[in-house]
Order: sequence, then C-alpha cells, then structure tokens
Amino acid sequence: MLKNEVLQIALYSGEIMLKSGAETYRVEDIIDRMCKSKELHEVSSFVTPTGLFVSDNKTRESTSIIKRVKNRKIDLDKISQVNNFARSFVKSEIPYEEAMNKLKKIDNTPKFHPALTLILIGLAAAFFTLLSGGKPLDFIATFFVSIISIIVFWSIDRLSDTQFLSTTASAAVISLCSVISSKIGLVTSFDMIIVGAVMPLVPGVALTNGIRDLISGDIISGISRVFEAVMIAVSIAVGVGLVLGFWTGVLGGSLI
Amino acid sequence: MIFKQFLFSFISTVGFSVFFNAPRSSVPYAGFTGGFGWIAYYILKSAGYIAPLASLAGAIVVGTLGELFARIDKKPVTAFVVPGIIPLVPGYGLYLTMIGLLNNDYTSAIQIGNETILTGGAIAMGIIIVSSMAKIFKSQKIVALNSIKK
Repeated sequence: MLKNEVLQIALYSGEIMLKSGAETYRVEDIIDRMCKSKELHEVSSFVTPTGLFVSDNKTRESTSIIKRVKNRKIDLDKISQVNNFARSFVKSEIPYEEAMNKLKKIDNTPKFHPALTLILIGLAAAFFTLLSGGKPLDFIATFFVSIISIIVFWSIDRLSDTQFLSTTASAAVISLCSVISSKIGLVTSFDMIIVGAVMPLVPGVALTNGIRDLISGDIISGISRVFEAVMIAVSIAVGVGLVLGFWTGVLGGSLI
Repeated sequence: MIFKQFLFSFISTVGFSVFFNAPRSSVPYAGFTGGFGWIAYYILKSAGYIAPLASLAGAIVVGTLGELFARIDKKPVTAFVVPGIIPLVPGYGLYLTMIGLLNNDYTSAIQIGNETILTGGAIAMGIIIVSSMAKIFKSQKIVALNSIKK
C-alpha cells in the first residue's frame, strides 16, 4: 500500500471520529497506530476540534494532509465503528478501495428513527424533571415541551451552521411553553419544566471532554472545547432569560 | 425510594444514549452506568455531603462501570460514559444561577454558580481518575506479561 493511501485512510478515520465528538487523544492515537502498523514510523498528527493535520516527515518529500471539520455532532455509534475498523486495519491488510468504502459506509450509517429519538428524548427530559424534584404534572408538561424544543432545534439547525442560533431559539421556546403552561394553570411552577427540557441542550459532554483534553495536555483543543461549552451555556441562558425577563419586566409576572 | 431514583435515571440515560446515537447493543449498558452513577450521587447527597463530592463519587462509579462494560460489550468507553454522566450534570444549578443574575441577586448567583462550576470540574475529575488508573493498570499488566515471557 502506498504511503499516501495509508495517510488518506488514517485521515478519513480521524475525520469521522472528530465529527462524531470523539476526544482529541483518541483521534490522534488512532491515526498514529494506523500509520505505524503500515511502516510509517515518523508520522505526527495534530488534532483540534476544527481540523486535523497529518504529516509524514521521514523522507525528503514529506507529505502532509489537512482536513477542516466544520460541524460536530455527538454520534457514539460512528466512534465505536471507526474504532473497530482501525483495530482490524492494524491487524490485517485491507486494500485501499475496500477501506475507503468501509469508511464511507460508516460515515453514512443511518441514525435511530427521528420519531423514536423524539419520544425517548422527551421521556429522558421528563424523567430528569422527576429526578430534580418535579411533580407528575411537570413530568407530562416536560415531555411535550422538550419534544417541541428539539423539533425547533433540528429545523433551525438544518438552515444555519451556527449552533448558537438554534440553541438560543430552542431555549426561548422552552421557557415560552413553560410560562404559558403555568399561566393557564396546567402546572404550579415552571422552573422544573425548564430544568428538565433544557437538559438535551446543556453542553455537559463538551465541558467534560474539554477538561479531559486540558488535563491530558491538549491545551488548544481543551480551551476551545471548554469555551464552546461556555458559549452554548450562555446562549441557553440568553434564550431562557429573554422570555423570563420579558414576562417579569413587561407582563409583570413573578419568577417563583 | 432508591429503586424509584434508579429507574428514573436509568430511563433518562437510555433516552440520552439514543439521542447521542449510541450503538444499539450498548444502550442498556449505558442505562445501568447512568443509573448506578446517580444512585452513588443520591446516597451521598442525602447523607449530607456537598454536591461536588457526591458528583465526584457518581462520576467514579460511571467511569468504573464504563471501563467494565467496554470490556464486556467490546465498545469504546465513551459509548457508556457520555450518556452516563448526563444525570449528574448540574442543570438545576445552572438554572438557579441564571435566575439569580436576572433578579440582580448576585450573592446567590455567585454562590450557586461557584458550586455548579465545582460540580462540573468534579465530574470531569472523576472520569479522568478512572481512565488514567485503567491505563496504568493496563500498561503494568503488559509489563508483567512481558517479564513472565522472558
């Protein structure tokens, strides 16, 4: 197998993992191991959340490839499939075309059915409301509010690349629906609904992965991931806060 | 009571693992990871310990179960840990911080916000402690095996 082909395969594997939200060290580790197994010992890889660099420095005609990654969405199934692919690639000889076809197939793996995802994410948010101390009526309200908010999130996400816009809009929809449902007397307090329904938007994973990157020494990835998490948290707060502020300031409602 | 808490966090984690498109076979394992992590948090929290400490214990349980299930199910640890930490994420703390800021009540905003940030750090630390311990054990095992072979 040619040097360039190995680099291409390793880069594509790394790209899929990075797009699916894998940790930086895991992506670098996979690329290094795939290259080393095919006798490329001088390969270095540098991975940040927005792009990958792979370079072979052995001979005079050293090669380097760069790949820009625009949007990231957590997809654990792809991470695990690429992990398995890399393991079999290291152990055995897989021809270039076959490897690229396998990776393309992994890249296009279908997700769970959207309706099933919506129902389960509604249930997850609703049970989170109960965990935080909500009442049964809050449970029912959270189920519907979070489904509406995820539909809003998905439809804006399709139109625009900036994640912050869809997050803010979705958070605003959540607090609007919660305020309305408490205003018409469906539930007594709306804070539990907001807490539960906001959970699918909260950047818990980005924050944890960022701190992990920082501690393991990937400073650039760590800082950018932590800051991304902070920005998402701020956009949630802006979305929820705008509606609540309008409600207390203009319509004279109370927050408790 | 504890069984109810376990059931709630189990279903919650299963929902989130479908949202994150986890591999089909690892969805129930992820549910157990999140459920037991939450139980550890809940027991310590209701025994009167502070939230960051309880979250640290919960995250250690999540990390340990993640390493265990990764070996049983042959999937990367992330597939279990990412949904598993979701119940521990301090969503209510974030919400109360924001409400404090909206009400110009900066004392409670700083107080709760501080605890929320510490909780977030504690969750990450718990995961990191377990994964670095697992790495050390693995490398020690390889060293031991090599010395036996020689």
